[in-house]
Amino acid sequence: MRAQFVLSETWIGLRRNLTMTIAVITTVAISLALFGAGLLVNQQVSEMRNYWDERITLTIYMCNDISPTQTCQENGPATDEDRQALEGRLEGLSQVEDFRYLTAAEAWQDFQERLGSSNEALAAAAQEGDIPDNYRVQLTNPEFYDTVRAEVEGAPGVDTVSNDQQVLEQFFGLLDGLKWAALVVAGFQLAAAALLIGNTIRLSAYSRRRETGIMRLVGASNFYIQLPFLLEGAIAGLIGGLIASGFIVATRFTLLGQIEDWFQFDIALSTGALFYVIGVSLILGVLLCTITSFLTLRRYLKI
Amino acid sequence: MIHFDNVTKVYPTQKRPALDGVSIDVDKGEFVFLVGPSGSGKSTFLRLVLKEEKPDKGRVHVAGKDLARLSNWKVPHLRRRIGCVFQDFRLLPNKNVFENVAFALEVIGKPRRFIRKVVPEVVELVGLEGKAGRMPGELSGGEQQRVAIARAFVNRPQILLADEPTGNIDPATSIGIMKVLDRINRTGTTVVMATHDAAIVDSMRKRVIELEEGIVVRDQMRGVYGQAY
Repeated sequence: MRAQFVLSETWIGLRRNLTMTIAVITTVAISLALFGAGLLVNQQVSEMRNYWDERITLTIYMCNDISPTQTCQENGPATDEDRQALEGRLEGLSQVEDFRYLTAAEAWQDFQERLGSSNEALAAAAQEGDIPDNYRVQLTNPEFYDTVRAEVEGAPGVDTVSNDQQVLEQFFGLLDGLKWAALVVAGFQLAAAALLIGNTIRLSAYSRRRETGIMRLVGASNFYIQLPFLLEGAIAGLIGGLIASGFIVATRFTLLGQIEDWFQFDIALSTGALFYVIGVSLILGVLLCTITSFLTLRRYLKI
Repeated sequence: MIHFDNVTKVYPTQKRPALDGVSIDVDKGEFVFLVGPSGSGKSTFLRLVLKEEKPDKGRVHVAGKDLARLSNWKVPHLRRRIGCVFQDFRLLPNKNVFENVAFALEVIGKPRRFIRKVVPEVVELVGLEGKAGRMPGELSGGEQQRVAIARAFVNRPQILLADEPTGNIDPATSIGIMKVLDRINRTGTTVVMATHDAAIVDSMRKRVIELEEGIVVRDQMRGVYGQAY
């Protein structure tokens, strides 16, 4: 009886303000889609960061016959003593987790494997010996990059020290910017959605003032009087959220899918992360609408 | 049943009090006419009983409860003990007679079976048997007011407040309305009726409380409308 009454009142309210309801659903859907996309990019970036933080290595290239830098030109190719001195130094550094020596042949092999499938022209152009022998140094924490670099740079036989992270950071920066843009626009949209919901509920309360007036007089509880309006807001929010979920799934499989394809690494966003984003967006949508409805009612529905 | 102890009410936008030191006692089962010109404080009295307004001074007790100490969330329970009838009926135009009366029970969560049982009884009590399926628009003013009375009484309140219930109805029909109110009063319900209708007050010979500018100027058992003049 109670449930049936409340639901039918809610349905009447939604139908009576159909145009406003549609406006609310659309705004909520767009804002939540942007919000969800922002969250999704955020998750993706943090997942990618984790991936690289584990794998990022500082690469110390040794001098060889064709090294163009000045130090190598002056001192000639690295000698075995140079290598031993460097290895000793790396072992003494607490920031170094592990390191591995690659001969020029191994380095070339590795290069071929990494690029072979995606960029055959470049892979074919490189010859053994083009890439000097090098040390792959695994750091305990990527933040120690500068410290370790300062330690080994300029050591005898060392050509250059490179860090893949710098390149990646630029890309992450771009994604971060994208994320913040999406979140800021989502914020404005959500504010607009809240105002729209407030107006819709106000209209709804006004068009049902006769019923609510009688309910008040015959002693219906405040909760009972307000519930249909709160449900009206919550349902609009939920529908908006569901539509937004569709957009979020689409974003996952288009935009982020392309990023993943491009990197050719196993950095796919887990299904759990996707559900997390959808869940947060849905809850945000429903809460926003319900709370706004509640606040509006306190002002416009005398009880 | 209703106890006003030196009650003063001033509306924020007005200087003159709507009620000024009013003390009234209405016992259980009484029938009371509240008379006086417009703006004399009759409606304010009724609103204070319903706790739609709070007094600025004095105490209001209704059905044994001190309204000043009644928390807001308990106000609905107070109102379930009070029925209300208005000059303008306040029916829901898209619901028929049965549904209008049933609405009062639905919204306080009464079970459907109970509603099916009591609504026809009350519809009959107010003299609308056979018209339960009619829409308010198909009824005369007097019949619409009977529906409103049925709605006010269906939950068997201890008090029935009527604010000029015959104000929109011709004198002949008014007599019928008064008979219904009298019938309800005989079931033990306290009835307080604010009215301008001298003929009705004179014919009923009930207690009359006259207000003027917020002050009780007459409180008379078995009174008439204009005796003071």
